[in-house]
Amino acid sequence: MYKLIKSIFPNSLSNGVIRLSDGACIPFDPANTDYANFKKEINAETVELQDAEGNTMTAAEAKAYVATLP
Amino acid sequence: MPLTKVSSGVIAANAVVDSFGTQSITSDKIGLGAITGNTLAPNIINANNIVNASITGAKIAANTITGDDLGQNSVSANNIATNAIENYTALTNRPLSNRNIVINGAMTVVQRNANTTSITTTGYYSPDRFNIELSSAGTWTMNVDSVGVNRAGPNEFGNSCNLIVTTANTNLGTGGYVIFSQLVEGLNLQQVKKGTANAESLTVSFWAKSSNTGTFICELYDNDNSRQCSQSYTISTAGTWEKKVITFPADTTGRFDNDNALSLYLTFWLASGTTFTSGTLNTTWASVTNANRAVGQLNLANRAGNYIAITGVQMETGTVATPFEMRSIGTEFQLCQRYYIDASYPNTGATIGFSGNVTNGNPYFVNFTYPVRMRAAPTLTWTSWADALFPAGSPTFQFTGVVGSNLYKSANATGVSGYFLGGYTASAEL
Repeated sequence: MYKLIKSIFPNSLSNGVIRLSDGACIPFDPANTDYANFKKEINAETVELQDAEGNTMTAAEAKAYVATLP
Repeated sequence: MPLTKVSSGVIAANAVVDSFGTQSITSDKIGLGAITGNTLAPNIINANNIVNASITGAKIAANTITGDDLGQNSVSANNIATNAIENYTALTNRPLSNRNIVINGAMTVVQRNANTTSITTTGYYSPDRFNIELSSAGTWTMNVDSVGVNRAGPNEFGNSCNLIVTTANTNLGTGGYVIFSQLVEGLNLQQVKKGTANAESLTVSFWAKSSNTGTFICELYDNDNSRQCSQSYTISTAGTWEKKVITFPADTTGRFDNDNALSLYLTFWLASGTTFTSGTLNTTWASVTNANRAVGQLNLANRAGNYIAITGVQMETGTVATPFEMRSIGTEFQLCQRYYIDASYPNTGATIGFSGNVTNGNPYFVNFTYPVRMRAAPTLTWTSWADALFPAGSPTFQFTGVVGSNLYKSANATGVSGYFLGGYTASAEL
Protein backbone atom coordinates (compact mmCIF):
# COMPACT_ATOMS: atom_id res chain seq x y z
CA MET A 1 0.00 0.00 0.00
CA TYR A 2 1.28 3.44 -0.94
CA LYS A 3 0.11 6.94 -0.14
CA LEU A 4 0.89 10.11 -2.03
CA ILE A 5 3.04 12.58 -0.12
CA LYS A 6 0.99 15.62 0.74
CA SER A 7 2.46 18.85 -0.48
CA ILE A 8 1.85 21.70 1.93
CA PHE A 9 2.92 24.35 -0.53
CA PRO A 10 0.21 26.01 -2.63
CA ASN A 11 0.08 24.86 -6.25
CA SER A 12 2.75 22.26 -5.61
CA LEU A 13 2.10 18.68 -6.70
CA SER A 14 3.10 15.63 -4.74
CA ASN A 15 6.60 14.54 -5.68
CA GLY A 16 6.69 11.17 -3.99
CA VAL A 17 4.84 8.38 -2.23
CA ILE A 18 5.03 6.87 1.21
CA ARG A 19 5.40 3.09 1.33
CA LEU A 20 3.07 2.40 4.22
CA SER A 21 4.63 -0.94 5.17
CA ASP A 22 7.77 0.78 6.47
CA GLY A 23 7.08 4.51 6.19
CA ALA A 24 9.75 5.04 3.55
CA CYS A 25 9.37 8.13 1.37
CA ILE A 26 10.01 7.33 -2.29
CA PRO A 27 10.66 10.25 -4.63
CA PHE A 28 9.46 10.29 -8.22
CA ASP A 29 12.93 9.79 -9.69
CA PRO A 30 13.04 7.34 -12.60
CA ALA A 31 16.48 6.19 -11.44
CA ASN A 32 15.15 5.21 -8.02
CA THR A 33 14.53 1.45 -8.04
CA ASP A 34 11.84 1.66 -5.34
CA TYR A 35 9.96 4.13 -7.53
CA ALA A 36 10.28 1.80 -10.52
CA ASN A 37 8.93 -1.02 -8.37
CA PHE A 38 6.03 1.18 -7.19
CA LYS A 39 4.96 1.87 -10.76
CA LYS A 40 5.30 -1.80 -11.68
CA GLU A 41 3.12 -2.84 -8.74
CA ILE A 42 0.44 -0.23 -9.48
CA ASN A 43 0.31 -1.22 -13.13
CA ALA A 44 0.11 -4.87 -12.15
CA GLU A 45 -2.70 -3.98 -9.72
CA THR A 46 -0.98 -5.85 -6.90
CA VAL A 47 -1.05 -2.91 -4.48
CA GLU A 48 -3.34 0.01 -3.72
CA LEU A 49 -2.62 3.71 -3.80
CA GLN A 50 -4.10 6.32 -1.50
CA ASP A 51 -4.30 9.97 -2.37
CA ALA A 52 -2.68 12.53 -0.09
CA GLU A 53 -5.82 12.66 2.05
CA GLY A 54 -5.82 8.92 2.62
CA ASN A 55 -8.59 7.99 0.22
CA THR A 56 -7.92 4.75 -1.65
CA MET A 57 -7.96 5.15 -5.42
CA THR A 58 -9.50 2.57 -7.68
CA ALA A 59 -7.04 0.51 -9.68
CA ALA A 60 -7.95 2.44 -12.81
CA GLU A 61 -7.47 5.79 -11.08
CA ALA A 62 -4.13 4.68 -9.69
CA LYS A 63 -2.91 3.49 -13.08
CA ALA A 64 -4.09 6.69 -14.72
CA TYR A 65 -2.24 8.72 -12.12
CA VAL A 66 0.96 6.71 -12.50
CA ALA A 67 0.79 7.23 -16.24
CA THR A 68 1.25 10.97 -15.66
CA LEU A 69 4.46 10.48 -13.66
CA PRO A 70 7.98 10.63 -15.05
CA MET B 1 99.26 -15.06 -45.29
CA PRO B 2 96.15 -15.65 -43.13
CA LEU B 3 96.48 -16.84 -39.58
CA THR B 4 95.14 -20.32 -39.10
CA LYS B 5 95.79 -20.82 -35.42
CA VAL B 6 96.98 -18.64 -32.60
CA SER B 7 98.30 -20.32 -29.55
CA SER B 8 97.23 -19.25 -26.11
CA GLY B 9 99.06 -16.12 -24.97
CA VAL B 10 100.57 -15.29 -28.36
CA ILE B 11 98.39 -12.25 -28.83
CA ALA B 12 98.19 -10.10 -25.79
CA ALA B 13 95.03 -8.22 -25.12
CA ASN B 14 96.69 -4.86 -25.50
CA ALA B 15 98.19 -5.87 -28.85
CA VAL B 16 94.89 -6.43 -30.70
CA VAL B 17 94.25 -2.87 -31.77
CA ASP B 18 97.71 -2.46 -33.24
CA SER B 19 97.99 -5.93 -34.79
CA PHE B 20 94.71 -6.23 -36.73
CA GLY B 21 93.18 -3.86 -39.18
CA THR B 22 89.67 -2.57 -38.89
CA GLN B 23 87.11 -5.34 -39.48
CA SER B 24 89.91 -7.91 -39.98
CA ILE B 25 88.23 -10.16 -37.41
CA THR B 26 84.54 -10.63 -38.04
CA SER B 27 82.07 -12.62 -36.08
CA ASP B 28 82.21 -15.66 -38.37
CA LYS B 29 85.93 -16.00 -37.56
CA ILE B 30 85.33 -16.40 -33.85
CA GLY B 31 84.63 -19.95 -32.89
CA LEU B 32 81.93 -20.90 -30.48
CA GLY B 33 83.29 -20.47 -26.98
CA ALA B 34 86.48 -18.74 -28.18
CA ILE B 35 85.72 -15.66 -26.16
CA THR B 36 84.44 -16.08 -22.67
CA GLY B 37 83.56 -13.56 -20.08
CA ASN B 38 86.82 -14.20 -18.29
CA THR B 39 88.91 -13.26 -21.35
CA LEU B 40 87.38 -9.84 -21.90
CA ALA B 41 89.06 -7.04 -20.09
CA PRO B 42 86.85 -4.36 -18.52
CA ASN B 43 85.27 -1.85 -20.93
CA ILE B 44 86.41 -3.69 -24.09
CA ILE B 45 82.83 -3.96 -25.31
CA ASN B 46 80.73 -0.85 -25.08
CA ALA B 47 77.53 0.18 -26.73
CA ASN B 48 79.33 1.52 -29.82
CA ASN B 49 80.83 -1.92 -30.52
CA ILE B 50 77.56 -3.76 -30.51
CA VAL B 51 75.81 -3.62 -33.84
CA ASN B 52 72.10 -3.90 -34.10
CA ALA B 53 70.75 -7.39 -33.55
CA SER B 54 74.19 -8.80 -32.71
CA ILE B 55 72.93 -9.93 -29.31
CA THR B 56 69.54 -11.54 -29.19
CA GLY B 57 67.54 -12.66 -26.26
CA ALA B 58 68.39 -16.28 -26.96
CA LYS B 59 72.08 -15.50 -26.44
CA ILE B 60 71.60 -14.15 -22.94
CA ALA B 61 71.90 -16.97 -20.47
CA ALA B 62 69.72 -17.12 -17.43
CA ASN B 63 70.86 -14.75 -14.66
CA THR B 64 73.48 -13.18 -16.97
CA ILE B 65 72.24 -9.70 -16.15
CA THR B 66 71.33 -8.89 -12.62
CA GLY B 67 70.16 -5.73 -11.06
CA ASP B 68 73.67 -4.91 -9.91
CA ASP B 69 74.93 -4.96 -13.50
CA LEU B 70 72.55 -2.29 -14.81
CA GLY B 71 73.83 1.23 -14.57
CA GLN B 72 71.58 4.05 -13.55
CA ASN B 73 69.23 4.98 -16.42
CA SER B 74 70.77 2.25 -18.60
CA VAL B 75 67.32 0.95 -19.53
CA SER B 76 64.68 3.46 -20.45
CA ALA B 77 61.18 3.04 -21.80
CA ASN B 78 62.43 3.72 -25.33
CA ASN B 79 64.64 0.65 -25.11
CA ILE B 80 61.86 -1.73 -24.18
CA ALA B 81 60.33 -3.13 -27.31
CA THR B 82 56.74 -4.19 -27.58
CA ASN B 83 56.25 -7.49 -25.77
CA ALA B 84 59.89 -7.39 -24.59
CA ILE B 85 58.81 -7.81 -20.98
CA GLU B 86 56.03 -10.16 -20.09
CA ASN B 87 52.88 -8.34 -18.97
CA TYR B 88 54.43 -4.95 -19.67
CA THR B 89 52.29 -4.39 -22.71
CA ALA B 90 49.27 -5.88 -20.97
CA LEU B 91 49.51 -3.11 -18.41
CA THR B 92 50.20 -0.33 -20.88
CA ASN B 93 47.43 2.24 -20.82
CA ARG B 94 45.96 0.73 -17.67
CA PRO B 95 45.26 3.17 -14.85
CA LEU B 96 47.59 3.02 -11.87
CA SER B 97 44.71 3.85 -9.56
CA ASN B 98 40.96 3.42 -9.63
CA ARG B 99 41.43 0.21 -11.58
CA ASN B 100 38.96 -1.70 -9.48
CA ILE B 101 35.44 -1.25 -10.79
CA VAL B 102 34.08 -3.14 -7.79
CA ILE B 103 33.21 -0.98 -4.78
CA ASN B 104 33.89 -2.36 -1.30
CA GLY B 105 35.65 -5.43 -2.68
CA ALA B 106 37.49 -5.87 0.62
CA MET B 107 34.18 -5.85 2.52
CA THR B 108 35.37 -3.03 4.76
CA VAL B 109 32.20 -0.90 4.69
CA VAL B 110 29.20 -2.37 6.48
CA GLN B 111 26.53 0.27 7.04
CA ARG B 112 23.73 -2.24 7.45
CA ASN B 113 23.91 -5.29 9.72
CA ALA B 114 27.20 -7.07 10.24
CA ASN B 115 25.22 -10.29 10.62
CA THR B 116 21.85 -10.93 8.98
CA THR B 117 20.10 -14.24 9.55
CA SER B 118 17.03 -15.96 8.09
CA ILE B 119 17.48 -14.61 4.58
CA THR B 120 14.99 -16.03 2.11
CA THR B 121 14.42 -13.04 -0.15
CA THR B 122 16.56 -10.85 -2.35
CA GLY B 123 18.16 -7.78 -0.83
CA TYR B 124 21.12 -5.84 0.50
CA TYR B 125 21.88 -7.16 3.96
CA SER B 126 25.46 -6.88 5.10
CA PRO B 127 28.55 -5.49 3.31
CA ASP B 128 27.75 -2.41 1.26
CA ARG B 129 27.21 -2.74 -2.48
CA PHE B 130 26.85 -6.54 -2.44
CA ASN B 131 23.48 -8.19 -2.50
CA ILE B 132 22.15 -11.69 -2.38
CA GLU B 133 19.41 -12.78 -4.75
CA LEU B 134 17.67 -16.04 -4.15
CA SER B 135 14.56 -18.00 -4.95
CA SER B 136 13.48 -21.33 -3.46
CA ALA B 137 16.98 -22.15 -2.29
CA GLY B 138 16.83 -22.54 1.46
CA THR B 139 17.57 -20.04 4.20
CA TRP B 140 20.85 -18.18 4.49
CA THR B 141 22.90 -16.06 6.82
CA MET B 142 25.03 -13.27 5.40
CA ASN B 143 27.66 -11.66 7.55
CA VAL B 144 31.01 -9.94 7.59
CA ASP B 145 33.70 -11.78 9.48
CA SER B 146 36.90 -10.08 10.58
CA VAL B 147 38.53 -13.06 12.24
CA GLY B 148 38.83 -15.96 9.86
CA VAL B 149 40.54 -14.00 7.15
CA ASN B 150 43.32 -12.70 9.33
CA ARG B 151 43.83 -16.06 10.91
CA ALA B 152 44.08 -18.29 7.90
CA GLY B 153 43.70 -16.55 4.60
CA PRO B 154 44.82 -13.66 2.47
CA ASN B 155 46.35 -11.61 5.22
CA GLU B 156 46.00 -8.29 3.45
CA PHE B 157 42.24 -8.39 4.04
CA GLY B 158 40.65 -7.72 7.38
CA ASN B 159 37.14 -8.77 6.40
CA SER B 160 35.31 -11.28 4.29
CA CYS B 161 31.66 -11.72 3.40
CA ASN B 162 30.34 -15.09 4.46
CA LEU B 163 27.24 -16.74 3.06
CA ILE B 164 26.08 -19.64 5.21
CA VAL B 165 23.26 -22.11 4.63
CA THR B 166 21.01 -22.44 7.69
CA THR B 167 18.14 -24.38 6.11
CA ALA B 168 19.07 -26.66 3.24
CA ASN B 169 17.31 -27.21 -0.05
CA THR B 170 18.56 -30.44 -1.60
CA ASN B 171 16.35 -30.16 -4.67
CA LEU B 172 16.44 -26.79 -6.40
CA GLY B 173 14.01 -27.97 -9.06
CA THR B 174 13.93 -25.77 -12.10
CA GLY B 175 13.95 -22.18 -10.98
CA GLY B 176 15.70 -22.24 -7.61
CA TYR B 177 18.89 -20.24 -7.37
CA VAL B 178 21.21 -18.21 -5.15
CA ILE B 179 23.55 -15.55 -6.46
CA PHE B 180 25.86 -13.10 -4.74
CA SER B 181 26.27 -9.97 -6.85
CA GLN B 182 27.49 -6.45 -7.23
CA LEU B 183 25.39 -4.26 -9.52
CA VAL B 184 27.36 -1.64 -11.45
CA GLU B 185 26.01 1.57 -12.96
CA GLY B 186 26.84 2.59 -16.51
CA LEU B 187 28.78 5.71 -15.54
CA ASN B 188 31.42 3.50 -13.93
CA LEU B 189 31.81 1.23 -16.97
CA GLN B 190 32.58 3.48 -19.92
CA GLN B 191 36.29 2.54 -19.84
CA VAL B 192 35.32 -1.00 -20.82
CA LYS B 193 34.40 0.35 -24.27
CA LYS B 194 31.94 -2.49 -24.63
CA GLY B 195 30.14 -2.58 -27.92
CA THR B 196 33.00 -0.94 -29.81
CA ALA B 197 35.87 -2.25 -31.90
CA ASN B 198 38.18 -1.35 -29.01
CA ALA B 199 36.25 -3.24 -26.37
CA GLU B 200 38.30 -4.40 -23.39
CA SER B 201 38.50 -7.74 -21.68
CA LEU B 202 37.53 -7.76 -18.01
CA THR B 203 39.50 -9.65 -15.40
CA VAL B 204 37.90 -10.58 -12.11
CA SER B 205 40.05 -11.66 -9.18
CA PHE B 206 38.99 -12.60 -5.67
CA TRP B 207 39.72 -14.80 -2.69
CA ALA B 208 37.28 -17.56 -1.76
CA LYS B 209 36.97 -20.23 0.90
CA SER B 210 34.20 -22.79 0.94
CA SER B 211 33.04 -25.86 2.77
CA ASN B 212 32.49 -27.49 -0.61
CA THR B 213 34.98 -28.37 -3.32
CA GLY B 214 33.89 -28.32 -6.92
CA THR B 215 32.74 -26.06 -9.71
CA PHE B 216 31.34 -22.57 -9.22
CA ILE B 217 30.22 -20.09 -11.86
CA CYS B 218 31.08 -16.41 -12.13
CA GLU B 219 28.96 -14.42 -14.59
CA LEU B 220 28.89 -10.97 -16.16
CA TYR B 221 25.38 -9.95 -17.19
CA ASP B 222 24.91 -6.88 -19.39
CA ASN B 223 21.58 -5.45 -18.29
CA ASP B 224 21.51 -2.81 -21.04
CA ASN B 225 21.71 -5.26 -23.90
CA SER B 226 20.54 -8.54 -22.35
CA ARG B 227 23.85 -10.26 -23.00
CA GLN B 228 25.92 -12.41 -20.69
CA CYS B 229 29.11 -14.41 -20.35
CA SER B 230 29.97 -17.06 -17.74
CA GLN B 231 33.22 -18.61 -16.59
CA SER B 232 33.75 -21.49 -14.19
CA TYR B 233 36.26 -21.77 -11.39
CA THR B 234 37.08 -24.55 -8.98
CA ILE B 235 37.31 -24.63 -5.22
CA SER B 236 40.05 -27.22 -4.81
CA THR B 237 40.37 -27.65 -1.07
CA ALA B 238 37.60 -27.30 1.49
CA GLY B 239 38.05 -24.69 4.19
CA THR B 240 41.10 -23.11 2.56
CA TRP B 241 41.49 -19.62 1.12
CA GLU B 242 42.19 -19.76 -2.61
CA LYS B 243 42.77 -16.87 -4.99
CA LYS B 244 40.83 -17.06 -8.22
CA VAL B 245 41.48 -15.09 -11.42
CA ILE B 246 38.97 -15.14 -14.25
CA THR B 247 39.23 -13.24 -17.52
CA PHE B 248 36.12 -12.47 -19.55
CA PRO B 249 36.61 -11.73 -23.25
CA ALA B 250 35.87 -8.37 -24.77
CA ASP B 251 32.43 -7.83 -26.25
CA THR B 252 32.19 -5.71 -29.38
CA THR B 253 28.39 -5.84 -29.30
CA GLY B 254 26.17 -3.66 -27.14
CA ARG B 255 27.45 -0.55 -25.41
CA PHE B 256 26.87 0.12 -21.75
CA ASP B 257 24.53 3.10 -21.36
CA ASN B 258 26.37 6.20 -20.22
CA ASP B 259 24.00 6.89 -17.34
CA ASN B 260 23.39 6.25 -13.67
CA ALA B 261 21.21 3.19 -14.17
CA LEU B 262 22.11 -0.47 -13.77
CA SER B 263 24.33 -1.74 -16.58
CA LEU B 264 26.23 -4.77 -15.32
CA TYR B 265 25.84 -7.56 -12.79
CA LEU B 266 29.01 -9.19 -11.49
CA THR B 267 27.55 -12.40 -10.17
CA PHE B 268 28.84 -15.33 -8.17
CA TRP B 269 26.45 -18.27 -8.48
CA LEU B 270 26.07 -20.39 -5.35
CA ALA B 271 23.22 -22.68 -6.37
CA SER B 272 21.14 -23.10 -9.47
CA GLY B 273 18.13 -25.05 -10.70
CA THR B 274 17.93 -26.64 -14.11
CA THR B 275 16.54 -23.50 -15.70
CA PHE B 276 20.10 -22.16 -15.62
CA THR B 277 22.09 -25.38 -15.97
CA SER B 278 20.48 -27.50 -18.67
CA GLY B 279 22.47 -26.13 -21.62
CA THR B 280 26.13 -25.55 -22.39
CA LEU B 281 28.06 -22.99 -20.37
CA ASN B 282 28.29 -19.81 -22.42
CA THR B 283 31.91 -18.66 -22.07
CA THR B 284 31.74 -15.96 -24.75
CA TRP B 285 29.39 -12.98 -24.84
CA ALA B 286 26.00 -13.77 -26.31
CA SER B 287 22.36 -12.92 -25.96
CA VAL B 288 20.94 -14.36 -22.78
CA THR B 289 19.94 -18.00 -22.84
CA ASN B 290 19.12 -18.94 -19.27
CA ALA B 291 20.02 -22.60 -19.76
CA ASN B 292 23.62 -21.62 -20.54
CA ARG B 293 24.28 -19.31 -17.61
CA ALA B 294 25.31 -21.58 -14.72
CA VAL B 295 26.05 -25.00 -16.19
CA GLY B 296 28.11 -27.07 -13.75
CA GLN B 297 27.34 -24.94 -10.68
CA LEU B 298 27.28 -27.11 -7.56
CA ASN B 299 24.39 -26.76 -5.12
CA LEU B 300 25.86 -25.04 -2.08
CA ALA B 301 22.37 -24.96 -0.55
CA ASN B 302 22.14 -28.73 -0.21
CA ARG B 303 23.27 -28.95 3.43
CA ALA B 304 22.89 -26.74 6.47
CA GLY B 305 26.29 -25.44 7.47
CA ASN B 306 27.66 -25.15 3.96
CA TYR B 307 29.32 -21.83 3.36
CA ILE B 308 31.42 -19.71 1.07
CA ALA B 309 33.50 -16.74 2.17
CA ILE B 310 34.59 -14.14 -0.37
CA THR B 311 36.84 -11.10 -0.20
CA GLY B 312 39.30 -9.11 -2.27
CA VAL B 313 36.92 -8.82 -5.20
CA GLN B 314 38.43 -6.82 -8.04
CA MET B 315 37.22 -6.31 -11.62
CA GLU B 316 39.45 -4.41 -14.02
CA THR B 317 39.93 -3.93 -17.72
CA GLY B 318 42.51 -6.06 -19.49
CA THR B 319 43.70 -9.62 -19.13
CA VAL B 320 45.99 -9.18 -16.13
CA ALA B 321 44.86 -9.37 -12.52
CA THR B 322 46.86 -6.66 -10.80
CA PRO B 323 47.29 -6.67 -7.02
CA PHE B 324 44.13 -5.72 -5.15
CA GLU B 325 43.66 -1.96 -5.10
CA MET B 326 43.32 -1.24 -1.39
CA ARG B 327 41.57 2.11 -1.12
CA SER B 328 41.47 4.05 2.13
CA ILE B 329 38.42 3.47 4.32
CA GLY B 330 37.36 7.09 3.88
CA THR B 331 37.37 6.82 0.12
CA GLU B 332 35.62 3.45 0.12
CA PHE B 333 32.98 4.75 2.50
CA GLN B 334 32.15 7.70 0.27
CA LEU B 335 31.95 5.46 -2.78
CA CYS B 336 29.42 3.32 -0.93
CA GLN B 337 27.41 6.34 0.20
CA ARG B 338 26.59 7.18 -3.39
CA TYR B 339 24.19 4.23 -3.06
CA TYR B 340 23.28 4.02 0.62
CA ILE B 341 23.65 6.23 3.68
CA ASP B 342 23.01 5.17 7.23
CA ALA B 343 22.51 8.33 9.26
CA SER B 344 19.99 6.68 11.51
CA TYR B 345 19.39 6.95 15.21
CA PRO B 346 20.83 5.31 17.28
CA ASN B 347 23.32 3.69 14.86
CA THR B 348 25.02 6.95 14.04
CA GLY B 349 23.37 9.33 16.52
CA ALA B 350 20.55 11.73 15.89
CA THR B 351 21.69 13.85 13.02
CA ILE B 352 18.85 16.19 12.17
CA GLY B 353 15.91 17.80 13.91
CA PHE B 354 14.03 20.96 14.87
CA SER B 355 13.51 22.91 18.07
CA GLY B 356 11.77 26.20 18.82
CA ASN B 357 8.49 27.91 19.52
CA VAL B 358 5.65 26.06 17.83
CA THR B 359 1.97 26.56 17.23
CA ASN B 360 -0.46 23.71 17.14
CA GLY B 361 -1.22 22.66 13.56
CA ASN B 362 1.65 24.50 11.91
CA PRO B 363 4.31 22.63 9.91
CA TYR B 364 8.00 23.08 10.73
CA PHE B 365 10.71 22.34 8.18
CA VAL B 366 14.24 21.02 8.29
CA ASN B 367 16.52 21.05 5.25
CA PHE B 368 19.49 18.71 5.18
CA THR B 369 22.17 17.54 2.76
CA TYR B 370 23.72 14.12 2.39
CA PRO B 371 27.46 13.61 2.96
CA VAL B 372 27.88 12.82 -0.75
CA ARG B 373 25.91 13.34 -3.93
CA MET B 374 23.84 10.21 -4.40
CA ARG B 375 23.28 8.16 -7.54
CA ALA B 376 19.57 9.06 -7.65
CA ALA B 377 17.05 10.78 -5.42
CA PRO B 378 16.99 8.23 -2.58
CA THR B 379 14.25 6.46 -0.73
CA LEU B 380 14.28 7.95 2.77
CA THR B 381 13.25 6.43 6.07
CA TRP B 382 13.17 8.13 9.44
CA THR B 383 14.29 6.79 12.79
CA SER B 384 12.88 8.81 15.68
CA TRP B 385 14.77 9.80 18.78
CA ALA B 386 12.50 12.21 20.65
CA ASP B 387 9.49 14.49 20.14
CA ALA B 388 7.89 17.25 22.22
CA LEU B 389 4.83 19.20 21.08
CA PHE B 390 5.02 17.09 17.92
CA PRO B 391 3.37 13.71 17.34
CA ALA B 392 5.50 10.60 17.43
CA GLY B 393 6.34 8.96 14.15
CA SER B 394 7.97 9.90 10.90
CA PRO B 395 8.02 13.38 9.44
CA THR B 396 7.22 13.78 5.76
CA PHE B 397 10.10 14.11 3.33
CA GLN B 398 8.74 16.77 1.02
CA PHE B 399 11.32 17.45 -1.66
CA THR B 400 14.01 14.83 -2.15
CA GLY B 401 16.89 15.19 -4.56
CA VAL B 402 20.34 13.73 -5.11
CA VAL B 403 22.14 16.12 -2.74
CA GLY B 404 19.60 16.61 0.03
CA SER B 405 16.03 16.66 1.17
CA ASN B 406 13.51 18.62 3.15
CA LEU B 407 11.24 17.25 5.82
CA TYR B 408 8.47 18.64 7.95
CA LYS B 409 6.26 17.76 10.87
CA SER B 410 3.18 19.58 12.09
CA ALA B 411 3.03 20.48 15.77
CA ASN B 412 0.21 18.97 17.78
CA ALA B 413 0.42 21.50 20.63
CA THR B 414 1.49 25.08 21.21
CA GLY B 415 4.54 25.96 23.31
CA VAL B 416 7.99 27.49 23.51
CA SER B 417 10.06 24.31 23.51
CA GLY B 418 8.83 22.04 20.80
CA TYR B 419 11.23 19.70 19.08
CA PHE B 420 11.58 16.57 17.03
CA LEU B 421 14.89 14.76 16.60
CA GLY B 422 15.97 11.71 14.68
CA GLY B 423 18.03 10.27 11.90
CA TYR B 424 17.53 8.78 8.48
CA THR B 425 18.62 6.19 6.00
CA ALA B 426 18.83 6.98 2.31
CA SER B 427 18.86 4.29 -0.33
CA ALA B 428 19.70 4.84 -3.98
CA GLU B 429 20.78 1.25 -4.61
CA LEU B 430 20.64 -0.23 -8.05
